Amino acid sequence: MNMLQTLWHYAPLLLSGAGVTLWTWLLGSVLGLAIGASVALLRRLPVRPLQWVLRIYIEIIRGTPFLLQLFLLYSGGPSIGIRLSALTAGVVCLGVHAGAYFAEVFRAGFEGLPKGQIEAASSFGMTSFQILYRISLPTMLVAIFPSIVSILISLSKETVILSIITVPNLMYQVQSMTVETYSAFSGIAALAVFYWVFVECVARFSALIEYRLTLFARRDSAEVRA
Amino acid sequence: MNKVPKIAIRDVCKRFGTLTVLDGVSLDVHQSEVVCLIGASGSGKSTLLRCINFLEAYDAGEIRIDGHLMGYVDAAQKQRRPMSDRMLRQARRDIGFVFQQFNLWPHMSVIQNVMEPLLRVRGLSAEVAVKRGEVALDRVGLTDKRNSYPLRLSGGQQQRVAIARALAMEPSLMLFDEPTSSLDPELVGEVLQVMKGLAAEGMTMVVVTHEMGFAAHVADRVAFLDRGRIIDVGPSQQVLHESKEARVQQFLQTYHDRTNF
Amino acid sequence: MQFGVIIDAFPYLLQASIATIGYTASGIVVGAALAIVVCAARFANSILFQRAALAYVSFCRGVPLLVMLMLIFYLLPLIGILVPASVSAVLALGLCTSGYLAEMLRGSLTAIPRGQAEAAQAFGMTGIDTWRRVLLPQAIRTCLPQVIGEFIALMKASSLISVIGISELTRVSMNIAADTYRPLEAYIGAGIFYLAINLCLAGLGTLAERHFSRGIIA
Repeated sequence: MNMLQTLWHYAPLLLSGAGVTLWTWLLGSVLGLAIGASVALLRRLPVRPLQWVLRIYIEIIRGTPFLLQLFLLYSGGPSIGIRLSALTAGVVCLGVHAGAYFAEVFRAGFEGLPKGQIEAASSFGMTSFQILYRISLPTMLVAIFPSIVSILISLSKETVILSIITVPNLMYQVQSMTVETYSAFSGIAALAVFYWVFVECVARFSALIEYRLTLFARRDSAEVRA
Repeated sequence: MNKVPKIAIRDVCKRFGTLTVLDGVSLDVHQSEVVCLIGASGSGKSTLLRCINFLEAYDAGEIRIDGHLMGYVDAAQKQRRPMSDRMLRQARRDIGFVFQQFNLWPHMSVIQNVMEPLLRVRGLSAEVAVKRGEVALDRVGLTDKRNSYPLRLSGGQQQRVAIARALAMEPSLMLFDEPTSSLDPELVGEVLQVMKGLAAEGMTMVVVTHEMGFAAHVADRVAFLDRGRIIDVGPSQQVLHESKEARVQQFLQTYHDRTNF
Repeated sequence: MQFGVIIDAFPYLLQASIATIGYTASGIVVGAALAIVVCAARFANSILFQRAALAYVSFCRGVPLLVMLMLIFYLLPLIGILVPASVSAVLALGLCTSGYLAEMLRGSLTAIPRGQAEAAQAFGMTGIDTWRRVLLPQAIRTCLPQVIGEFIALMKASSLISVIGISELTRVSMNIAADTYRPLEAYIGAGIFYLAINLCLAGLGTLAERHFSRGIIA
């Protein structure tokens, strides 16, 4: 069998693997963003023990490897009654992992809120809610956008690791294909190129969005359409 | 004068921790009057201005605008409570405030900046808000910059946009907190020119400033603050040239030494 | 939970930690060497070199470590190079980190005022000497804190070399989990060691930053 035939033969498996990869990435990202935003908000509450707990969560997650966290939940979980399928464990782990990183980014975002601009808004009598969604959120999102994207990119690369606990993602399918066909290298090489192109595309696309988002801060470019 | 003053400040005190910033300040500002607050930095003049629209809450005393107590529910001083947010917003929308750092919203174009409070606070339709915004921009001479983003403008232009943004709300009173202090010297004139125009049209203005020329020629009265108290107040010529207070003379002397080489 | 398992495993985990640090350090050394070459190519006059360096950096940053590891693990025998798995592991770690290190170095280099290189040339120093004596020493110092950050990240990522059988911290904790049937305790034990190494490195980073910033940051 030549390479093309091999690929054709395995196409359905590879496609389903790609689907699983994409799906885990999306779910993990959404879960991570939700956890990160909640943790960042909760950390602003003046409750000491809560702050400690959240701080410990962030430090532990950011201080240990993702693979270890995955093993801890998937293999260690059952001994304290947490039994999850590989897929669920993988998504939960991605979310909890990314959540700690997102939480730090959001915290920095809160700290960098434009005090004077908010004051100006309240001097006109704008409501807290109007100030939040017209002034604070837009400036904060613009400021943290690059960090968010870089976490999302890292997360897309972490999804590969789920194959180790038998989540049938692209990496897993490529490996099973290589085992059956004895042509290990070409499959992995194709996977490497796939990731390279994917990450490069996401990075370029986000750079484009970032450029649009920060047009207002560029002195050189043309005026906007009103 | 029998008429109720536009702003009536009575024995206002403000503390930050153990530091007393305002120590019993009283001042009346009448309709169409321009009052400049001058004094060394740290004398409390900016804090006083910020107390007038309650960006800073004063601890004791009263500030009344058109006879209405600002920031607190009218009650005996001991048991008064801060106003609800709703009442405070109501009270603030007729007071224009211009900041030293402009505080334009950088993610909105010039016209969007001017329209924003009209849309959100006055609840105007977009068409009406655009028209009003354009009128306000015309008054500060920046119609051609309507679609630019603030960060692309010079400091002087940004401050004029900030004034237009405040003007568009059709305030009955405008407060200026060192409006020219963060501008390059050659840009100060354009901003003062706009303010002078407003004064000529009869706007009631309270201006914290270091521009003695503006105080001398545009202000009706000048109040000199020192360590949280007004130690001299009166017609501008009188305070700036004939003050009997040693602190005032000393301050003006250093000011003249600096500007006249 | 039986914490006895962690205590019994302590000597093994300690030994494995040293292996983890060793692999990470080797990876950083390989990565740094590659990064200097790549960085030189990015500043080269030839468009071809610049493009190649750019593509290399984007490749290293785009390909996940696990994929890179497999790539090298399968590629080397294919082209007739037979080396122990540990060499493949170090190579993969080095390749992955070199892209990031190259970018850090580039950042530090571009932050050096142009005048310094001009001053060196005004004295008649050669291009290579200007690099070796003036630019690189400064750039390496200013990017050191970032490099320690990258060291910590690579240390965590190095848990993946366990899949090709390298006995570092994660692999050893897997073995302990299998032997004792107490996976939770085994992985918590490994986590404690990762956190401890992390803490030490972060402390080292602060020290290094203080030491090397003298004279550079006023």
